[in-house]
Amino acid sequence: MPLSKGNVLVPSRKRGASTSLNPRRKLKVPYLFIFLCMLPWILGFILFTAYPVAASFYESFTKFNLVESPKWIGLENFHRMFFDDPDFWKAIKNTLWISVISIPLRIAFATFTAWILTKPTRGMKFYRTLFFLPAMVPTVAATLSFTYIFNPAYGTINSILESIGIKNPPFWFMDPHWSKWGLILLGLWGIGDTMIIYLAGLLDVPKSLYEAASLEGANSWQEFRYVTMPLITPVIFFSAVTGIIGSFQYFTQAYVASGQVRDYSHSMYFYATHIYTEAFRAYEMGYASALAWVLLVITLLCTLVMLSTQKRWVHYPNGSLFK
Amino acid sequence: MLKKRLIAIFAISALTVAGQVAVTASSEAATKTITVASPWHDGGLEIWNAAIARFEKANPGINVISKGNQDMAKSLADINAGTGPDISVANGPGNVGWFCATGAWKNLNKLINSPTTGIKIKDVFPAAVNDYTISQGNRCALPFTTEPIGMFYNKDLLLKAGFAKPPTTTEELLAYSKKLTTFDANGDIKTAGFVPWVGYNDYGFTANDLGNMFGAKWYKADGTPALGSDPQWVKAFNWQRTFIAQVFGGGDFAKGKTKLLKFVAGAGSPWGLNGDFPTGRAAIWIDAVWMIGLFCDPTENWVMMPCNKPPVNFGVAPMPVVGALKSSLYGAARYGGNTMGIGRDTKNVAEAWKLIKFLATDTQLQVDFANYATQPPSTIAALNSKDLVYPAVYKPFIDIVKNKRSGYHKIMFVAEHLDEDELNNLMAAWQAGTVSNISTALKDASANIATIIARNSK
Repeated sequence: MPLSKGNVLVPSRKRGASTSLNPRRKLKVPYLFIFLCMLPWILGFILFTAYPVAASFYESFTKFNLVESPKWIGLENFHRMFFDDPDFWKAIKNTLWISVISIPLRIAFATFTAWILTKPTRGMKFYRTLFFLPAMVPTVAATLSFTYIFNPAYGTINSILESIGIKNPPFWFMDPHWSKWGLILLGLWGIGDTMIIYLAGLLDVPKSLYEAASLEGANSWQEFRYVTMPLITPVIFFSAVTGIIGSFQYFTQAYVASGQVRDYSHSMYFYATHIYTEAFRAYEMGYASALAWVLLVITLLCTLVMLSTQKRWVHYPNGSLFK
Repeated sequence: MLKKRLIAIFAISALTVAGQVAVTASSEAATKTITVASPWHDGGLEIWNAAIARFEKANPGINVISKGNQDMAKSLADINAGTGPDISVANGPGNVGWFCATGAWKNLNKLINSPTTGIKIKDVFPAAVNDYTISQGNRCALPFTTEPIGMFYNKDLLLKAGFAKPPTTTEELLAYSKKLTTFDANGDIKTAGFVPWVGYNDYGFTANDLGNMFGAKWYKADGTPALGSDPQWVKAFNWQRTFIAQVFGGGDFAKGKTKLLKFVAGAGSPWGLNGDFPTGRAAIWIDAVWMIGLFCDPTENWVMMPCNKPPVNFGVAPMPVVGALKSSLYGAARYGGNTMGIGRDTKNVAEAWKLIKFLATDTQLQVDFANYATQPPSTIAALNSKDLVYPAVYKPFIDIVKNKRSGYHKIMFVAEHLDEDELNNLMAAWQAGTVSNISTALKDASANIATIIARNSK
């Protein structure tokens, strides 16, 4: 019989408990066989993950142009990054902008969309599928479509805006001041994957709590603020952390959109674009590796900061996952 | 007796087999294999391979493996892995500086200058071609066909506006465009005379073209960037703004820029007949030579000949140049072309040289390829060949390639045209109105390019 600890089920370790169901006792597979089964993965990990990671760490301290052997230059790449590379700061600025604006917007939009989808009693599955569909569209195709429908000359969006009386609608991807907003809207349109997590979180909130709140005279906002919000904070925390990581790796949409409109102004030049440009256009693999490692450190620091704040605002029914 | 006979037969057979094995082995030892990686495919690759077959026939000791559909990134990855091709072909001269300086392509100076097997490059190739195959004294590349830039103009629209001849100066270009540009009822541009906007028509008009029209220099004789010191750049950039203000904004740059941005947004694909030039949305258009294949062919198969019923009634002329320098600049252009080099790891340098020299100088290959790809040949002999077939409208491109004043800017140790990108980025900021002092901005761009070169050269 499993023992209950809180509402978490843990396996029984009582002496004399039935052993016929214990898989460990029945498993008599030699360790060598297990190792051989794992070997393809281990080899793949060493060759395609561990070695490249180690090599990139070493190369971040070198000048390496792909053809000549890497030349050790110590911390020069890191010095260049912070003191001698205006594109680095441009990329950081753009990346921070998209992070600061898009992450809260995505959280709010995903929560709102998920909340709406908890409401219908008829056609619920249809609506949920409908809202999730954009998330299934390949990123490149979605971005190309967006640059088309947001085209200031023949795009649908500006036609609609003009028809409702907006005289000079934005030039979206073609205007350095509006291009990132185009990307934000693209991200919100494809919110389906995040929305599903929020939907699960919302559906997990016990109905009894709403009934209790209702009996106490809480209105809809109070129900959301004092019942729903606290109970979905783990979901918000999760999507914030993954959002930060994702926004620092933001690449495909920006690369495709800037290629479509020939964004020489670099308004859609993000950190990952900078890594790509240095590695595959300037052939500066050493510098690109240094940029990648700084990205790792920045992402790690942001995640640690988020983790350190969670005690104050994230409510886990059974305590923190990260205790 | 029978036994003796059998022994004799066996001995003779053994000797014969051994002899054949020895002959085969020695002939195999004498044969050298050379691999050539090129981006060609379909008909281009067939022509290329046919020429290679002729080469193999003329050089029995050399076996050539030709790999098509290989872009330079693939060849570079192979060179990096130590398994690179003996000869690789790159589209354009954008990486020549980088290939030469890193040694990805071998220095060919000694081979070219050899009195017996070398090439007298000044006699064989046009001047511009010799400019873009050398970087800082190291000639590591040989050319293969060229890619001149010229001005296409819509004859019907020009005639309608009262112009019988194309513009030859930047001043004329502005005056023509004022008359050619029309607006619809909303005030949006309906037909543009000419669009001097970086990013329009993909790479149709770049900082390189703008500088070309004003004879602006990229580098000084010592190889340091000249963007900040050559006053022609400032004139060129100011002309661009004046053009946008006067032609599209009635004298107001901001107004002209906004209208032009909307016009650019509505451009058709430059790779089809729904593009702005074939549809008459733009009357004057700057582009590379191979666009002629599209403009000549109503079926969009990019076939230049016979070009007797083109979907648009067009002409070709050299790019207009600033009036003050017309006598020295007009008719010439800064143009590039495909380049090829011998890879770092080749073990058969002599044979690779023999082949690359053949590919770069064989008149039949140059002519056949030029006729197929509509790119003018890169040798003087092929440019003058009677077998070179083209319609009359193509001739200005041949003249641009032949022009002794045509050239290419110095090629320094930068990868993938990063120097040109620097200036294109500045041009984008300038045309967007976010740069107020072009002199200072050009000096900054110059310094940035100098930094890239210095860093790479360390």
